[in-house]
Amino acid sequence: MVIDDSRAMRLILRRIVTQLGFEVVEAGNGREALDLLESMDQPPQVALIDWNMPEMNGLEFVTAVRSQERFRQITLMMVTTESEHGQIVRALAAGAHEYVIKPFTPEAITEKLALLGLVPSGTMS
Amino acid sequence: MTSPTTDDLQAITEQVWLSYLDPEGTNPFLPSEQAPTMPCVIAAVSVTGAWEGHVVMSFSTEASKKASSALLGMEDEEVTTDDIADAVGELVNVIGGNVKSLLPDGSLLSLPHVATIDEGVNKWPAAVEVCRLQGSWQNEPIAISVWTSKSTG
Repeated sequence: MVIDDSRAMRLILRRIVTQLGFEVVEAGNGREALDLLESMDQPPQVALIDWNMPEMNGLEFVTAVRSQERFRQITLMMVTTESEHGQIVRALAAGAHEYVIKPFTPEAITEKLALLGLVPSGTMS
Repeated sequence: MTSPTTDDLQAITEQVWLSYLDPEGTNPFLPSEQAPTMPCVIAAVSVTGAWEGHVVMSFSTEASKKASSALLGMEDEEVTTDDIADAVGELVNVIGGNVKSLLPDGSLLSLPHVATIDEGVNKWPAAVEVCRLQGSWQNEPIAISVWTSKSTG
């Protein structure tokens, strides 16, 4: 799942993770993503989450997902321009597993997914 | 309090171009004296909190189309105004976020605002320019500037 209010950024991330073999669903903010999760029979393996979004931001989404047992297996990765140390700590404390700062390369996303065991190590997008 | 410099803007812009607009490194943003003239597309994010000001990108109309088509994987002629608002809004969001990383902790970044300016002068009342990077990409002018509110400058 790719969650970002920018269609351009969703497209960039979609291209990267599609090449890695993932099927992708998209949401434009945290609220849309939560609604989408509620409607899915099978939760996604991983969610790539922007921070700064209208309606429900990425941190609020992470907190909401982590409060629900049935979504516990979803790996949450922040993909954001927010690079302040305190904010990174907040996101990780709320339940995010990884953190990527924009701008990123395809290799950076691939490397993080490999660290999380979601793609084989050494995979290049 | 240190402020961002033109060198900072150049380093950030190079990274953004390599990540999103020029991944092969064959068509970089080239600093120059060239600045966009009217009509142009303005994309801005505001910083509030510990530091207050704006990060502003100005594109020639053609540059905004080229940047949008590159980001969205479209032909230039297929790009709509909504595409431009989304794509250049994301560019200024990423550049603004990286500028914010140079500012004091406790600063917050707004969502991007994008506007087309047909004539006149683009003004940022109560703000003064801190630094500016001008250049061209695919022979079209783009400028990036950082403005601080007079109250915190």
